[in-house]
This record gives sequence, C-alpha cells and structure tokens, in this order.
Amino acid sequence: MTEKDFDLTRRSFIDRVLLATAGAGMAAAAPWAGMAAAAEPAKTHPVRLGVIGTGDRGRALIQNIAKTHNCTVVAICDTYPPHLARGQVLAPTARAFTDHRAMLDAGGIDAVVIATPLNTHARLCFDALDAGRHVWCEKAMARTIADCGAMITRAKATGKVLQIGHQRMFHPTYLNALKRAKAGEIGTITQIRASWHRNNSWRRPVPADATDRQINWRLYRDSSAGLMTELATHQVQVGNWFLDAVPTRVIGSGSLCFWKDGREVYDHVALIYEYVGGRKLIYTSLLNNARYGCEEQIQGSKGTIEPELGRIYQEVPAKVLALQRMQKDVTRGHKRTVPIGGATWFPELPVTTPGESLGWGEYGETMLQFEGFGEAVRAERPLPGLLAQAYHASVASLLGEQAMDRGQAMSWPTDLVAI
Amino acid sequence: MAVLADVERFAAMGTRVELHRFGEGDPAALAGARRAIEAVDDALTIHRPSATTVLNERLLAGQEAAVDDPLLLKALVTIDEAHRATLGLFDPAADRRLGAAGWGDILLDREAGRIRAATPLALDFGGFGKGFALDLACVALRAAGVRSACLSAGESSIAVVGEHPLGGGWPFAIPHPLRPGQTLLELELNDEAMSISSTVGAGVDAPERAPMIRPGYAAPVTRRRCTVAIDRLGARAEAMSTALIVADDDRAIRLLSGRPNRNFLFDLSQEAAMPVPPSRMSLQ
Repeated sequence: MTEKDFDLTRRSFIDRVLLATAGAGMAAAAPWAGMAAAAEPAKTHPVRLGVIGTGDRGRALIQNIAKTHNCTVVAICDTYPPHLARGQVLAPTARAFTDHRAMLDAGGIDAVVIATPLNTHARLCFDALDAGRHVWCEKAMARTIADCGAMITRAKATGKVLQIGHQRMFHPTYLNALKRAKAGEIGTITQIRASWHRNNSWRRPVPADATDRQINWRLYRDSSAGLMTELATHQVQVGNWFLDAVPTRVIGSGSLCFWKDGREVYDHVALIYEYVGGRKLIYTSLLNNARYGCEEQIQGSKGTIEPELGRIYQEVPAKVLALQRMQKDVTRGHKRTVPIGGATWFPELPVTTPGESLGWGEYGETMLQFEGFGEAVRAERPLPGLLAQAYHASVASLLGEQAMDRGQAMSWPTDLVAI
Repeated sequence: MAVLADVERFAAMGTRVELHRFGEGDPAALAGARRAIEAVDDALTIHRPSATTVLNERLLAGQEAAVDDPLLLKALVTIDEAHRATLGLFDPAADRRLGAAGWGDILLDREAGRIRAATPLALDFGGFGKGFALDLACVALRAAGVRSACLSAGESSIAVVGEHPLGGGWPFAIPHPLRPGQTLLELELNDEAMSISSTVGAGVDAPERAPMIRPGYAAPVTRRRCTVAIDRLGARAEAMSTALIVADDDRAIRLLSGRPNRNFLFDLSQEAAMPVPPSRMSLQ
C-alpha cells in the first residue's frame, strides 16, 4: 500500500468512527473514541514510546504504532533476546534494552507501552509512572484486583496518563453497533451471550533457550488467569459497555477437562454476570471447539447485534405460508381459498435470516487507540471514560476467576478505586 | 393487469403480524398501520411497563384510576360494550386470589376517563387486543387510500379491508383443529374481521399457552370447542369468539341466534375418543 492509499484508508476509517460516535447518547457512551478520531494529530514532534515486551503482541503493537500520525517507537525492551531481536527488525532505529529500568533511566521517552505477561504489568507500570512516564498497558490490567486499583492510584498520584488496551472501544463496527442499540433498534437489551471458543491447545512451542513458564505464561496461575484475563476481559468490557453498568455479582464454573497437559488455568469457563434489573452477560470460553468462535450476541426485545460478525438482526417472525401463497396468487390473477386459523405457533428453531451489515472495511482500531493515547500524553490528560471501562472489565474478569475457584457467587467489590 | 402487492411482517401483541396490501394507496400505508398496531401493543400489554400495568397496579390496590392513555380508554369503552353484547361472558377482569371478580365489579366513567373496581382485580385483554389493534390498523389503511388489504395477527385474528383484489369476498378455509388436512369451515369476508378461538388443537399445545378462564370462577375451560366470530370490528369478533368458548348451552344458543352465519360454535367433545365426520358436529 502506498502512503497515499494508506492515508485514504486511514481517512475513511476515521470518518466511520466519527460518524458512529455522532449519535444521540454516544458522547457519554464513548467519549474517548470521538475525541481520538477528531484530534487530527500533527506528525511533528511525535510522542516517543518505549515498548516493554516484544513478543507476538508487542510486535503487533509496534506495527500499529507505526501507522499513527503522532507516536513513534524510540526504544524497545525484552528480557528474552530472540524476542528483542525480532522487535529490532520492526523498529531498527529504536534503542534496545534487556532491562526496563535501564530503558527508563536512559531517558528520551515520553511514555511506555507494556506488553508483557500479566503478572508483571503492575510492577512495570509503577516503575514507569514513578519515573515520570505515561503508560499504555495491555489488558488485562493486572493479576489481582488490588493491583488494578493500585495502578490507577499511582497514575493519579503522579499525574500521568494510564491507558489500557481495549481496541474494541475504538472499533467503528462496535461504535456503530452501540449507536444503533442506543437508538432503540434492538429494543431493551436484557441479555448478552458472549463466547470465545478456540480449538487449539493455546500452547506455544518452547525454544531450547527458554522455559515453558516463560513462553506459555498464559497457562500458569501465578502469571495469568488464563481465558479470563487474556480473552474474557475484552468481552466483559463489551458487556458492561452495552449494558451501561457493572455487574452486581458473578457465578461460574471452570474446569480443566480437555487439555490435561500440566497447565494450571481452566480450559473451559462458563459464567453468568448479573446486572441490575435482572440483565445478564452469559460467558463461555473453551479450547476444544471452534464452531461458535469469538462473538458477543447482544440480545434486545426487538433484535440482536453480533458485532464480530458485523451484523444486526431484527426480530422478524416467520412468514405465514398461506398468506404468502395468497399474495402470489393475486399477483398472477388467481383467486383461491386461504387456509387460515390453524396452529398459531411454530417450532422455535434458531433464526437463520442474514440480518443487515453493520459495515466492514479496513480497520485500524489499535492504531486509533494509540493516536488517542498520543494526544492524551500531549495534553497530559487521559481520554475520558476509557480507564473506567478497562478497570471494571479487569475487575470483572478476575472476580469471575474467584467465583469459579471458590464455587460461589461473588458480589461486585464495594472498595474499588474511584476514577 | 398485475395487481401491486406489498407486505409488512413484524412481531407484536405477542404473536406474528402480517399486513398485506393490494393495489392503490399511500406507499407508507403499511408503515402507518404497523405503527397503529404497535401503539396498541404499547398501551395494552401486561408483559412490560404500560398504561395497562399502571392501571392494574391501581385496581389491585383497590384504588380509582384516571385513564390518561386514549388508546386504553378506547379499549375499555369497547370492552364495556362487548361485555354487555356477550351477555357478560367476555370478561378480561380477573382476581388471582378468589377468582370471583369480574367486569361486573368495574365502574367505568367514560366521560371523566376514570375507572374503579369494587374488589381488587386486574385486566388481561388477551386476544381482544389483537382484534382491537387490527381495527385501528384498518382505519389507518383506509385513511391512506388503501382499498384492499388482508391483515393477520397470529392467524387466529384476521381482518380484511374492502373486497378481494380480484373482486368479491376474501375466501378463507378454517382447518379442523383435530384432523390434519380437513376443513372445519369455509367462508368469505368482505370488509370484515374474523376471530377464531379453540380449546383444542396444536395452538393449545403451544409452550406457555395459558388456558381460557371461565369468568367469575377462575377455572380453566375444559370443553372441547372451536368458535368463529365475524364482525365489522375485530375487537367485537374477538369478544364474541371468546364468549362462545366459555358459554353454557343456553347462552351459546342466544349468542348464535343473534347473528346467524356470522357466529359459529363447533362442539368437539366427541372427538376425544374417536374422530367423527364433520357432518356429525354441531355447526351453527
């Protein structure tokens, strides 16, 4: 893609975000997105980023940062040399470090990007904030609810921006879906069914110079809550967002029932998050069946939205066959008796109508969230609403883990940090 | 020349609704008719907050209520008339505790738009709402210049505007509720509405289907009956078909004799053990 083509694609993407965030109620529901899209960031004096963690996710972030108009990667850091080397390929002019403290001490960066195992987020965040740097951190926020809150407290104390990676909040399809939901197109939303189903071990090959816990940190409890913090967090955030609330409590069941390979985290999770008014988010994630993939089914009294598929469905009942035949008869000039008044119910099979598209295209939601972060760093003021969404999503995912571990309903904590 | 036809399908009144328009009329006529039905649904539903649920809360608390919603007031006035026209048999009022309450306990001041009840009770309009909604949809269609239309709410509530688009009445055949493939009744409608009620058949076996309640006793109707009522107004047809279901023999004869060939009652009690030919059924 040429630079001109890229700019056109970028413009088209930004326009879609602006269009989606222009609806009634959207300024309150997604203030960060409109602000980030409307920023028109200047390319001069970009925000200088140091990326900590250049594994798969970190390198994907570097590629997205390169698309932005207002951020540049000037330093990278990883404790595992092969990852660092791959990062240098993507950011050849960036200085390379194996110790994040050395990177912070070296200066020349405005903010850090954290893309490391979950259990290291809080410590790295504290170090960066204490060193006077703003922080962009991958979701989930931290391994414990207490650490999530402590990260916010530290950011407020240092006056620095803390932003968490939840790219769906910048995704035009999600924003358009929320806009249409707020316009009442699917009626009252009472339930969301969300799933992230994969059919693979979720295990990465371990090179000879690394340990399993180093590479497959997602599978071990000291470093991750597994499916809950690495996948569910995204979808619980979507649930909170569309239900415009945080859960009141969660019940759940987790098990290791297929990949019995020494991992510690569940390979099957099933949870129900309850919200005021009897509303629910029903969540499942598993690793040995991919038919239903990754989706949030946002169910209202008049329709359903499936943002991952990018579709909105109206509750249109099945056709009355006798009346359909009558209409065809009339249009060809034939009058025939209409059998009517028989069974007024029909088997309640899944509806397979295709629905309507919410819009597809080239998307750059991860790019946009970094542009938003760049503008927040420049203004030294976080994008509004974003951190609360991320915090509540992380808390909910960790609370879900507790509900499964203890086998009991967990109420929403009353001692969370105010944002 | 081909007749233009279009259709609007949607869920309302707890069932599937289809509006078929043929020939002339405002292009937005069907949308207007749909809005009319949805407005009735919003006003009369007891399955979500509505003017009716507000009213029920007052009546259950033994309090007088002002009926501010014009659709609800119009429905109550229509019910009041239908209650009298059906010898008190059409009765949407119920007392869940004692079962003895009924519309006779209601005092409706039409002019003042106020209602109260002598005993705590609640209203459940049931199928009446479908007929009432179809009536208002027909009014909207006629006002939009439509001269030929067929409306269905759950297939047991039908209304037609004008003549069949190819001339003459609209021919309908009502299937036998217990004998697949057989017809119970054939008839024609012309600018009329029809309501079909039954205590037997596939519709009765539908999940969560509530039984018809005998007024004044709160007991389900167990007689095996199918009734058909035709009227200029769907609301009145609904009231009549329901009344015929719950009527004892004497009152059933009185209701049937008032409008021959427009009200029908099929006694299917002999169908339980062994199906019998339609000729042996009691057809009025």
